[in-house]
Amino acid sequence: MSNGIPLAEALARYRPDADIGSLPELTDTDTLLNAYHPDHLRGSVVKLVVGANAGDSCQRELAEFLQSEAFIDEADLAGTPVTDIDVLVIGGGGAGCAAALMAAEKGARVLLATKLRLGDSNTVMAEGGIQAAIEPDDSIQRHIQDTLRGGHHVGDPALVSAMAEDGPDVLRWLIRQGMQFEQTPSGDLHTRRAGGMSTARLVHCRDYTGLEMMRVLREAVIQHRSIEVWEQSPAVELLSNETGQKCVGAVLTSLLDDQLRIVRTRSVILATGGLGRLHLNGFPTSNHLGATGDGLVLAYRIGARLRELDSFQYHPTGLVHPSHLSGKLVTEGVRAAGTLLVTGLGRRFIDELQPRDVVCAAILRECSEGRGIRIDDQRVGVWLDTPRMERSNPGLLEKQFPNLMTRTRVSGIDPRIEPLLVHPTLHYQNGGAVIDVNGATTVPGLYAVGEVAGGIHGSNRIMGNALLEIISFGRRAGIAATANRDRGPKKVTLEHVNRLRRALTLAGMPMTQRAPQVLPTYAAGGIWNR
Amino acid sequence: MESLNHKSALAETHLVLLHPDRRIGADMARWRQSGGGKALARAVQDPAAVREEIRLAELRGLGGSGFPAWRKWDAVAAELPKPDKYLVVNGNEDEPGTFKDRLLLEETPHQVIEGAVVAALAIGANRVVFYINPDLARSLAAMRTALEQWRTSDLPALASTALGKPLQLELLPGSGHYIGGEETASMEWVEGRFPFPRGKPPYPAQSGVHGCPTLINNVETLANVPHIVVHGAAWFRALGKAPGTGTKLYSLSGDVLHPGVFELPMGTSLRELIFVHGGGLLSGKPLKAVFTGGPSSTLLTPADLDVALDFDSLRTRGSNLGTGAMIVISEGTGIVKRVAEYERFFAHSSCGQCNSCKVGTATMSRLLDRIDTGCGTAADLASLENLCTMLPNSGRCHLINGAVQLLDSAFHHFHDEFRQALR
Repeated sequence: MSNGIPLAEALARYRPDADIGSLPELTDTDTLLNAYHPDHLRGSVVKLVVGANAGDSCQRELAEFLQSEAFIDEADLAGTPVTDIDVLVIGGGGAGCAAALMAAEKGARVLLATKLRLGDSNTVMAEGGIQAAIEPDDSIQRHIQDTLRGGHHVGDPALVSAMAEDGPDVLRWLIRQGMQFEQTPSGDLHTRRAGGMSTARLVHCRDYTGLEMMRVLREAVIQHRSIEVWEQSPAVELLSNETGQKCVGAVLTSLLDDQLRIVRTRSVILATGGLGRLHLNGFPTSNHLGATGDGLVLAYRIGARLRELDSFQYHPTGLVHPSHLSGKLVTEGVRAAGTLLVTGLGRRFIDELQPRDVVCAAILRECSEGRGIRIDDQRVGVWLDTPRMERSNPGLLEKQFPNLMTRTRVSGIDPRIEPLLVHPTLHYQNGGAVIDVNGATTVPGLYAVGEVAGGIHGSNRIMGNALLEIISFGRRAGIAATANRDRGPKKVTLEHVNRLRRALTLAGMPMTQRAPQVLPTYAAGGIWNR
Repeated sequence: MESLNHKSALAETHLVLLHPDRRIGADMARWRQSGGGKALARAVQDPAAVREEIRLAELRGLGGSGFPAWRKWDAVAAELPKPDKYLVVNGNEDEPGTFKDRLLLEETPHQVIEGAVVAALAIGANRVVFYINPDLARSLAAMRTALEQWRTSDLPALASTALGKPLQLELLPGSGHYIGGEETASMEWVEGRFPFPRGKPPYPAQSGVHGCPTLINNVETLANVPHIVVHGAAWFRALGKAPGTGTKLYSLSGDVLHPGVFELPMGTSLRELIFVHGGGLLSGKPLKAVFTGGPSSTLLTPADLDVALDFDSLRTRGSNLGTGAMIVISEGTGIVKRVAEYERFFAHSSCGQCNSCKVGTATMSRLLDRIDTGCGTAADLASLENLCTMLPNSGRCHLINGAVQLLDSAFHHFHDEFRQALR
């Protein structure tokens, strides 16, 4: 069996007008997923030994971080400046900004701390759009059903219905903030249908919906007088009360001067996003540089229950070539617009609008069975047949996907002439912290919103729900976090860290790994290291 | 220490109050099966003998004072009712690092109630108030259920007959203030006012709640009473390691492997508590200090490892057993920060009626915060040292003394650390 068709040979063979054959019947989705999806890889899942999820399955690399030693000790807190604030939001993406805005609207003094710069997030990379049941033939109920079905019925129905109900109002709120959406000639919001949806429900702003969303949220946050923003200030630990049962603040560091800062607060909202940069199972990732799963580590250490830790979303169409764009996404919107996936042999192999995990598994099957296109030992992929789409819809790529066109143009590739080489890329963490409809975790005083929270997408997210989730739950948590009007923390401690250390010691686990990672090991300046 | 067999030593950690037979929650049937009510039956026969037994047992006030219980009891017993006599069961437990009373109330409510009723009989009190920290939801719930079970049983009638008037048992959630645990402050709260400590004299024994003679004892003190009545003073004295008598609930927390409540013979050494029962220090770090929690916290250092943890032995070391809370600090923890936190707690807890305490604790807290955050000067440190000599005994209650004693003790052992933190 050949290990894939060399790039040059495949390019020579490629014709945009060639017959691609009929779509083979997809008989058994479960078998396909079990055989090829990375979540099911042998050895990729272990059982957690300590903490709130002891006994649950967890992705192997993640488990090492969850059951790790903290970076800081009591000694490091000596002489640390203390800031008192009502609500601390950790994370400067869409969810964090939405939460900060709502909390500030409710009269709280808010501190938003972000690892890199405000808006450095995966929100800006969300290209496809945001789901909301606004079409006449659509309903909240259908949105709920699609989300639950797409997530293989693992999601929490209460959370899903809360999010779906918020959909139209979220759009209204975003428009009031100044966000632009694509419109039909009559002035209605333009919708698209995407993978896993039963009807058109995807509202979008060309192919940079998330970027546009972040633009308005960022401006609103900067302008709000009750929100203070600390950039380049990653959180390295949460703080608990004297019993270690309640979250009462966080320890932040600074990438600029390495100075630790204690923030004492009534509520902490974690909006730290995902963990693509841990490169689970060695996959490339579409995530931004700061997505190192810090939020999960911090939440788990303070005792929050997590869920679906063995379930990650691999986006089917991450670019393989050119190498500096490796892992970067080609939005699902391109497939939603009618672009097909074909093998190196020029055959279609899967319904492109199946849920992402199915499409992803199908691509991995083609690659492993030698029908992919190979560049070198590392890189292999299948064609995303953009020239064929361009032939049937001339000008569509240029009009609807300017972001993709710009990015490929500077690399010397023209998707209108040349198909794009794609391979699944680590995209999204389906699980996360267990939350209720207000975004509250199982630890009092700690909220989690956005990708770091779990339970909404089940074991597979469908397109457009992430942007909805961050605003919906961001706003809910922002409001709920201000409801706590107690006297504030008497004492801030690292008792929860000691609790985990005790558990690790008693379980005989090594305490060599330290977490959170803050930055990937290969990042400029290296890992944050004291 | 290695010679001590870990397992057999652990088996002795729950002797009397926390014996598994007692930890049954609010379940009257099971409690009576396991011998509950015996002490009451005996006390009904001869209430005055109970006081004598308590005196011989040398039961001390386990809420932190270590004051001999019988002296307070005798003082109240000697008073005439005006027209009532009160017994306040102090469960306001709010000291840093102390978590023993909540366990007794939650898991052994009947033991506490019986102890209180026996004490009430012994001193002739007809009103018993269970005064409990409002934040201890589970303790309150257990006590509520247990008291309901008492009211529907035959026991109150038994006690009332012996007493000669109806015995009233009342559950009263406290104010949530630390200062509410001070004995006269609790009386203010029982009377329905903010818990400001009162000046003494008159002492509660003469004029307490509503001017009536009042005895106030800690939950743990009273929980011991039924056992002394049933088994006798000699048995109780033998439980302790002389000069201590009985057992003590030690609340162990901080950087140890097994934090928790341990019931050990009074006078157990700090070394045994930390290294045998506590499983040693976390991550194998060396011991730096131990904060003894309670109304007047002090510091113990590794040099005190072999000191017996009882009231008298510690007092001769210039320290204080307090509530039996031991907060263990390992090497690598900043003393300045910890002390600053405690002083903040005291400043936060000061009721504000005595100027020296209101301003004194706030000033100490502010100066310590400055030193802790690296902004302190030598003048700040000198001011703190001055305050340590000026402030003691300047308030109505002991809060200011506690605040000073802690700082004084920290200066005594770790003066260099404070000096190094100066600008």
